Amino acid sequence: MARILIVEDDDHIRTALRLMFEGVGYDVDDAATGEVGVALFSRMSADVAIVDVMLPGMSGFETCQALRATSDLPIVIVSARDETADVVLGLESGADDYVIKPFVPEELLARVRAHLRRRPDKGAHAFTLGHLRVVPDEGVVRRDDGTELHLTSTEFRLLTDLASVGGKVLSREDLLERVWGYDYFGDSRLVDVHIRRLRTKIEPDPANPVFLVTVRGAGYKLVH
Amino acid sequence: MHRRSLRLRLLITFGLGALVLSSLFASLTYFGVQRVLVSDRQHTDERDSFVNAALIRNTLYTSPPALPSLLNSIEQATASNVLVRTHSQWLSRSRGAVAADVPTGILHTVDSGAAAEQTINVNGHLLFVVGVPIPAVETTVYEIFQLDPLEHTLRNLLELLGVGALATTLIGIGGGLWASRRAVRPLERVSAAAALIAEGELTTRLAVGQADREVQQLTESFNTMVSQLVDRMERDARFASDVSHELRSPLTTLTTTASVLQQHRDELNPAARESLDLLTADLSIFRVLVEDLLEIARSDAGASALVIETVGAVELVRQSVRSAALHHSLDEPLILVEGDLDDAKVSVDRRRFERVVTNLIVNAHQYGGDAVAVRVGVAGGSLVLDVDDAGPGIPEDEREQIFARFFRGRAAHDRSSTRGTGLGLALVRDHVTSFRGAITAGVSPEGGSRFEIVLPLSKEGE
Repeated sequence: MARILIVEDDDHIRTALRLMFEGVGYDVDDAATGEVGVALFSRMSADVAIVDVMLPGMSGFETCQALRATSDLPIVIVSARDETADVVLGLESGADDYVIKPFVPEELLARVRAHLRRRPDKGAHAFTLGHLRVVPDEGVVRRDDGTELHLTSTEFRLLTDLASVGGKVLSREDLLERVWGYDYFGDSRLVDVHIRRLRTKIEPDPANPVFLVTVRGAGYKLVH
Repeated sequence: MHRRSLRLRLLITFGLGALVLSSLFASLTYFGVQRVLVSDRQHTDERDSFVNAALIRNTLYTSPPALPSLLNSIEQATASNVLVRTHSQWLSRSRGAVAADVPTGILHTVDSGAAAEQTINVNGHLLFVVGVPIPAVETTVYEIFQLDPLEHTLRNLLELLGVGALATTLIGIGGGLWASRRAVRPLERVSAAAALIAEGELTTRLAVGQADREVQQLTESFNTMVSQLVDRMERDARFASDVSHELRSPLTTLTTTASVLQQHRDELNPAARESLDLLTADLSIFRVLVEDLLEIARSDAGASALVIETVGAVELVRQSVRSAALHHSLDEPLILVEGDLDDAKVSVDRRRFERVVTNLIVNAHQYGGDAVAVRVGVAGGSLVLDVDDAGPGIPEDEREQIFARFFRGRAAHDRSSTRGTGLGLALVRDHVTSFRGAITAGVSPEGGSRFEIVLPLSKEGE
């Protein structure tokens, strides 16, 4: 069964979350601080991490970065702050998703399930973007010189999904549905921040993208 | 009643005051000077006449034939005309002067032996006639003086005084203008600043520069008042925000544990199960209430939290409607685009706009049996967005109140099963206003309620 890491300093919320996830059959590790969470993860590993932002000591963002440094696991940030700046900061620190407290428990469950369901699209064809070779079968992006470019699973999924429609435009909602597996909770900021982060990795000049192009009023498309 | 402006009143007061005073002084001066000049002149003329009459008498005694040359020299010396009459016969007739000009009244008086004088008007010329009897030779002498030069002097004086009075009046009006501007300008500045503040420019203050003491006091009091009000508003907004923020953690625990209980719903007895359902239902209302409160507190805190983007209007509406319908498991209403809106763009905070559409659609669901249509069009440089339902509609007297916070209309009382937070529409209006738009409630073509949003179109190219 899938293993969930919960990093949350509020005892009540942590316990409630643990009970809920255990109730539907997940294994749960919980930690009250980022430091303990990262240590737990390095020992036990996990399939999804749920991280609170306001933590004593190491912040939620720092915890995200620390987890991301060693793993591609999906990270869901849970925060009482829903200002765009906070959401962007959270996603920039490496999280795949952002949920605002007080959340609908079923929604959090659904999101975690969606992240667990996601698997790399093995059937897709390899393609080239400038000096990059994207190989969905192996789940890797290689540079000309053979070295690997590291993408998180969400970024990889974003790239291959845009490639799979053959240059057509996908709206933010389409992408939320295809990449995150969300039918009904759309936060377009999620898409925008990931597109931006992906651009810094694959574009020669991220400020003037040539591959990952914004189509005003419609969404994004991949030119290759 | 419409009050006249202070500025106009000051202007009129100063102008009228100057006019009355200067006219008064001009009249006094004129009449005073006139009296003095005229009586001086008449005294001189009278005296001359008597002296001349004596000369004439002497001449008539001594050598009557020398009379004409005497008269000539008199006329030259006194710039007058002299008429001499003996035994009711005009003896000599001066050039220019007409004996008929001498009034009969004066003739009789002088004939009876008394000297007389009179001012007469002949063909618009003022003449001063002095008659002197010389009984010894049964002769009377009339001397006629021209008053025209004096009249001319007086007219000049009158004109001068008139010009002076006019100038004084103008100066008075100028003074009034200056005084009124000086008195009114601080008021206008206060009024402009107050208007700005009312529009939400809370950083507006009056400049404390070099001003009169009273104005400085007004400026300082005004600024202090605004600062205190802003402080107070910020404190209130922060309080609401802090409260809802603090509610988030316990609420998260509550909703999560309720969901854990729901997982074990089947193991509960009927009473516990019903209680759990009530708990879950109210928790969800509570959660929305806290979200709405927080959102409204943030919107009160000002524009700092706004993230404005310029986006395609139709796409924005489609996405917002879709996300609203999906999020609340409602049927997606029909979206009717009227006209060619491909290039129509609006500048909004996308998240807040989605919230606006969501709240309207949820409102239609709660009170109007679901939104039946969302109409998008352009009118007069603005985007017009209508969210229509086919429900019972909103009573006319509630169409404005409905946007007030925690307002509960008759519909909310009638339908005890639907419970909104009372903040949804207030939030909608706040957000729409923050995009410089407006929202009104009316009647839909389907006979239900219509919420109409008017947003300025953005001209920004990119």
